[in-house]
Amino acid sequence: MAYVELHDINKHFKKFHASKDINISIEKGKLVALLGPSGSGKTTILRMIAGLEQPDSGEIIIDGKVVNNVPGSERGIGFVFQNYALFRYMTVYDNIAFGLRVKKVPEDKIKERVTELLTLINCEGLEKRYPSQLSGGQKQRVAFARALAPNPQILLLDEPFAAIDAKVRLELRTWLRQMITKLNITSIFVTHDQDEAIEVADEIIVTNQGKVEQSGSPQELYKYPATPFVAQFIGNSVEVNNYDEFKHFDRKANSSVAYIRPEFVSVFKKGESVQFANSAEEAVVEDIIFRGSNIEIKARIHGNLLSAIRSINDNEIKVGEVVDLFIYRIYVVEDDHVILATNNSLVDETIVI
Amino acid sequence: MELRKENKVLKYVLVTISFIFLGVFLILPLIYIVITALKDGIAGYVNAVSDEYAIKAALLTIKATVFAVIVNTIFGISAAWLITKYAFKGKKILSTFIDLPVTVSPIIAGLIYVLTFGRQSSLYPILDSYGIQIIFAVPGIVLATIFVTFPFISRELIPVLTAQGSDEEEAAALMGAGTAKIFRKVTFPHIKWALLYGIVLCTARAMGEFGAVSVLSGHLRGKTNTLPLYIELLYQGYDFTGAFAASSILVVLAIVVLILRLVIEKRGQKELDLNK
Repeated sequence: MAYVELHDINKHFKKFHASKDINISIEKGKLVALLGPSGSGKTTILRMIAGLEQPDSGEIIIDGKVVNNVPGSERGIGFVFQNYALFRYMTVYDNIAFGLRVKKVPEDKIKERVTELLTLINCEGLEKRYPSQLSGGQKQRVAFARALAPNPQILLLDEPFAAIDAKVRLELRTWLRQMITKLNITSIFVTHDQDEAIEVADEIIVTNQGKVEQSGSPQELYKYPATPFVAQFIGNSVEVNNYDEFKHFDRKANSSVAYIRPEFVSVFKKGESVQFANSAEEAVVEDIIFRGSNIEIKARIHGNLLSAIRSINDNEIKVGEVVDLFIYRIYVVEDDHVILATNNSLVDETIVI
Repeated sequence: MELRKENKVLKYVLVTISFIFLGVFLILPLIYIVITALKDGIAGYVNAVSDEYAIKAALLTIKATVFAVIVNTIFGISAAWLITKYAFKGKKILSTFIDLPVTVSPIIAGLIYVLTFGRQSSLYPILDSYGIQIIFAVPGIVLATIFVTFPFISRELIPVLTAQGSDEEEAAALMGAGTAKIFRKVTFPHIKWALLYGIVLCTARAMGEFGAVSVLSGHLRGKTNTLPLYIELLYQGYDFTGAFAASSILVVLAIVVLILRLVIEKRGQKELDLNK
């Protein structure tokens, strides 16, 4: 059953239409990502759920009750701000205790809860520090503890990893995912980073230009993008306008654009591939990017620069080399939906691969 | 090496210029004030300072200053809060108008109030029927002092509040804290030093205000004469000892304010470094 629901939500900031007919349904205990480019309205959705913004129309429902007129502080939510917004003139202890003190919880109960949370976030011994004396990762965890202190039913996180350097970010992602699973708290976080959303979330809601484009599990989104935007946004897609020129792909009616992801493309040195000898096409390598664990090859074919991934154990390919390129699948945009088209040679047995 | 030598010469030239400037324009006059004030001996000085009218003038100055600081602190905090935390129509106009007293000549400020509340104003009969006298009375002096000092506090607070943003306040509100609690626990610690600094500046300016107050006061000795007006009166009456003795009170007050300013700036800076 849905725990957090948004029905036909619209929101304007002056003339800017920030949320257009938003309909969202989030189940209890799920970890959900609001994913979209900047300005797509994802933070607005989060802030409306928190009560920090009022929708112009539509209903926000939490646990079966319409909460449009309930102040944010009575909605049972904890909010982690993008830059943590820790109270800089209070110690870590006072920061975490703030929400409890507002609720007039007795001081001994507060002490118990803060100590428990400090243990949970691995920050024992930091209670007397001020936020300026903490590292980025510690600030993030203290912000998390502060939001959790009053035992909220829902945890909202605005770009929780944006302000942290890359290495710590990866650790924190895993840590946050474990924490949320352990606490079994319904959580919604905003991100513009698809890797983050795919790795952390149970479910992803993709937003674009104030609308919800698609929602579903990361696997669903990845495999079956429903709209052209999602096809283009998820994965490192390359847009192709002349996909029917590629060998073994037919033009579909009403469509001109297709998206090709690196994982759907294989690049072989001349004569390397026995399997795709007949159905591969020639391409010219223009760029090689060493990524540490693998190598990205950018090769031009029919005027398009496609990416493919090769293992570092494969034979070396050089810039300017003519290679065999085989495309397994492409996403073809037809009107406002997307079709997954598979190379005919893989489907039709009459074609010799 | 050459460059360094040149820089050293330049440094001493600049130091010399600065000190000569300070000496001629500040130190020398200050010394002269003290010498003139003490020309008739300590007794003369004490006499002049403890003169009934001098004390009344000093008390009026303090009264006007206290009023101005209280009113401007309330106004300054409200205006700064409004301008930095809310979006509304006319925000630009408001923040521009706050600076008006700095750009307008104090004499004009005084005249504005004479026109607004004086006999020729249509407000005058209404005020008069309630027995309220503003022009050539203490309320006028307070009003003039408030006018010339009102940008000082809000101007100190606006940059600090802008830099802080409103996330911390939102976080506190989401945890159920009321406006008063948010202000006390979150906003106030942040603006504390800037506010104190603004108050100090406001005090200094309020104590020394001459122009606007002069127009509105009516120069009633012992009634509507502030310290600066009293000094001028003595000076015009060729009572140099009295004038300079009274001035020395203002100088002492100014030095106290200056020291306060230094202390506040230092402490504020320290805390700022800590909370980067």
